[in-house]
Amino acid sequence: MSTARASARWIRADLRARRGQALLTVLAVAGIVTALIVSVTLLEDGTNPWRGLFTESRGAHVWIHTGDAPDVTALSRLPGVAEVAGPYRTAPVTLTLEGKKSPVALRGMEARPPAVATPLVRQGRWLRPGDTDGVVVERSFAEALGLRIGASFPVTALNGASHPLTVVGLADTADQGFYPEWTPGLAWTLTSTLARVEPALGRSESVTGLRLVDGEDTLPAVHGAVTLLNDQIRRMSTWREVRAAMELDNRLLGLLLALFGVTGLVAAALAVANAVGGRVLTQTRDIATLKSLGYTRGQIFGLLTVEHGALGLLGIACGLVCGQLVAFFALDGVPLLPPSPLPLLLIILGTAAVVVVAAALPAWRGGRTPPLPAVPAAPPRGRLSRMARLALLVRLPPALVLGTRDAFTRRTPALLSIFGLAVPMMMITIGLGCWATLDDFLRHPERVGQAAALVVHPDKLPAEEAARLAAADPQVRAVYPGAEVSALEPEQTRTVLARALGTSAEPYPFRVAEGRMFAARGEALAGQGLLDLLGVKIGDRVRMTVGGTPLIVHIVGRVVEPDQDGEVLSLGMDTLAAKDAVPPQFYSLVLEPGADPAAVRARLLAASGEKLEVARVVNPADRLSVIRVVIVALIVVLSLLGLANLLTASALGLRDHALDLAVLKAMGLTPRQVAATLVTGTGLLVVLGVVAGAAAGASVVAGLVDLQGHTSGVGAGIGRAPSPLTLTVAVVVAVGAALLVALIPARRAARAQVPVTAR
Amino acid sequence: MSPPPIVNTVNLVRIYQDGGVPVPAVRGVDLKVEAGEFVAIMGPSGSGKSTLVHMLGGLDARTSGEIWLDGSRVDTLSESAWALLRRRKIGFVFQFFNLVANMTVADNVELPALLAGASPREARERREYLLGELGLADRADAAPAQLAGGEQQRVALARALANRPSLLLADEPTGNLDSRNTRDVLRLLGEVHRDGQTIILVTHDARVASLADRVVSLLDGQIVDDGAVGPVRRRPRASAGDVVELRS
Repeated sequence: MSTARASARWIRADLRARRGQALLTVLAVAGIVTALIVSVTLLEDGTNPWRGLFTESRGAHVWIHTGDAPDVTALSRLPGVAEVAGPYRTAPVTLTLEGKKSPVALRGMEARPPAVATPLVRQGRWLRPGDTDGVVVERSFAEALGLRIGASFPVTALNGASHPLTVVGLADTADQGFYPEWTPGLAWTLTSTLARVEPALGRSESVTGLRLVDGEDTLPAVHGAVTLLNDQIRRMSTWREVRAAMELDNRLLGLLLALFGVTGLVAAALAVANAVGGRVLTQTRDIATLKSLGYTRGQIFGLLTVEHGALGLLGIACGLVCGQLVAFFALDGVPLLPPSPLPLLLIILGTAAVVVVAAALPAWRGGRTPPLPAVPAAPPRGRLSRMARLALLVRLPPALVLGTRDAFTRRTPALLSIFGLAVPMMMITIGLGCWATLDDFLRHPERVGQAAALVVHPDKLPAEEAARLAAADPQVRAVYPGAEVSALEPEQTRTVLARALGTSAEPYPFRVAEGRMFAARGEALAGQGLLDLLGVKIGDRVRMTVGGTPLIVHIVGRVVEPDQDGEVLSLGMDTLAAKDAVPPQFYSLVLEPGADPAAVRARLLAASGEKLEVARVVNPADRLSVIRVVIVALIVVLSLLGLANLLTASALGLRDHALDLAVLKAMGLTPRQVAATLVTGTGLLVVLGVVAGAAAGASVVAGLVDLQGHTSGVGAGIGRAPSPLTLTVAVVVAVGAALLVALIPARRAARAQVPVTAR
Repeated sequence: MSPPPIVNTVNLVRIYQDGGVPVPAVRGVDLKVEAGEFVAIMGPSGSGKSTLVHMLGGLDARTSGEIWLDGSRVDTLSESAWALLRRRKIGFVFQFFNLVANMTVADNVELPALLAGASPREARERREYLLGELGLADRADAAPAQLAGGEQQRVALARALANRPSLLLADEPTGNLDSRNTRDVLRLLGEVHRDGQTIILVTHDARVASLADRVVSLLDGQIVDDGAVGPVRRRPRASAGDVVELRS
């Protein structure tokens, strides 16, 4: 108790003397905890709305799309099936709003909401028996199109007839992912209304949901359904796909944050250890005085650990608050479940342990300070090395030589300082690499498999006419016919996208990362996600079922595939059966370099008299633009860490050489040269740390991005290191800023009256 | 039966190892200091006088021999036990003052009292009394760096006396001061001695040593002379009236 009072006085005085450094420690730790918490929130299902929506709506685990209504009684007897939703009749219609056309799946429902897979009405109300023109729209779809309650919802059926409907409600559902990741958009209407919009049964499909007893075990039910319905099945999806569709971007962001957070934690530990170690060295005399006053070794250790550990804990507390706030604001609008207590506890305890250990190790050394204050804690002295003498002989500036020698008078702190600067710099380089990768996506979309900037759907024109119009435009370099069909892999019970583009003779310029382009009928390319899903490798043959027709393809290469988690099979139109390929569903247009897609789109629309539907391809980098904000924030936090390390190194250098200053001046060095000596001592460590960090970062960043690409299904081959120019600028800025920071205390020290005492 | 001496050393030896070569600093010192005595330890540089007082305060470990403090043996104590002992029984004054740079004068003086378990109020009262006595009452909130050398040493003296130690060890307290400040500090030391404080003072300055009751001369780590300056005065601590005798 008595020691506590005395120690409190010491800690208060010490913190007051170094407010800036203390604040830096708190901020750096807070930044890292924030990053970790946000990453956990993102990585956890908590941010994935699927879990909440699925539970709330009593969702169906498996959805089966069939031509005709299936035998519900037989389905409900399948193993593991608890309840059946539907079957609901669903018709493909087109919603036309302000000239923009969006495909919609219009699903017929009863006025009484179903007990399984209930649409969760968030605004407005559910359908009523008299709502002949009413429609309830899935919320993400409505938000993307700016639809509100009471808005008109004009749909066109396949027969061309238009029907003015009105939005009466917006509802959430776990039946499918969010728009536009998951298309077509979903809207519910009364069965009577649907029958009026699309009278022909043959042009609609039947959708049935199976709610299982155990959601983890979908295979028996799916196998049973496939056996039972066989040819009738057009498409199937399970809850895993829906969940994946809802979480994709958050997950990537979360992984990035986790990577930065964990490495940042290492950097923070180094910064704290350096700060405490430097503090202990500069305070050797004060610590010895405390001992002569009656502090024991353990009490000094406790005192230092508590002081510096408390700063870290304060940082953790700030980070906790910031993390919650950032997660709350960043995920605005997403129903957010708080992160479960276990990972949160792990982050708090883990960070606290790291910070306390980082503070305790140098504090232990501080505790072992001998209580004899008179013994000067001089740095190990050394003679000028031969190199140094040679350097002086050839008239290198003496400040440079002396500074270089000073930089390494204390080996371990010097190495720790270099390392402490290298780690943040490495992370900054990795951040810049992510940035460069995103830029590369935007600047060279063909490298991520998006050579085509525009997609033309013939819509009301004959396909040949559409192709002719597109090819006639002067800025269109090539036109590739395309079709997208669902391919069912019966063993895997999953539907994947089969995308036919171009022909074997004239293939679309896919970005082939491994293997080769398809060159003959029956050859195909796969995304990494598909290879992983099927467990096949390049060179294997795979049997798929496309639109009911078996199709055996030979996978000859892997493409970089940013869509559908990479679960896409790419092939030539001639490989598809004629019924799927003729006429082409759409044409992908590769433009001349430098052509403005918007201008071409406008020309095409004008040329066709607005009869063509021309859409711009969405670049995946546009979806990931939030990553740039994260990168900037992380660079700020990492710079803080680097600054903390720099201040420590600078303070230590000053302290070690305070005594030398008088000698240097006596030797005839001007104050400017003295300052230069001190700055060189710190600056050399900075240059070494920054260059080492940048080199390490640049060498691993492409690999890291590719690793992430591989696990997310996009596939390796997208990672880019920052350009040499960016890297040079980053290094120069870091070193320059560091030298400026080091210059201020050095100038002050060089001008100050040299103290006469031993201090 | 007379009370045990405040300090009693038996054949005290300290040998440093300098690169494997043993360097004896103190070679068999037997020293008895009675309560209330003011002993000056003199000797040239390197005679082992500082090492001796550091060992008496537990700042340095003895190589062999015994140290008795207030009748109990202390040379066998652990580092922590020495620290606890210092809090209660020993006050230190150093050549370079050794004030904690970040703390105010007031905090520096209160620190030992707080460490010894005094309440903040007691510590404050003691500090106000001491600083008042030493003429520093108005500098309580100053930082040590703002004080002149003599003032810093007076603060250090106040700090050393904060816990009413049985033994005040002063290691060249005037070694870094000009003559005027030296006079001030010595006058203060004389005053606290008159109040009954036992003092062991290390100096190489004969004028400083002349203030003491007794001068012990060290040479090469051994006592070569131990003589009282005038008659040995042995008095009960803090008895009134002695001031007159001392001034005569």
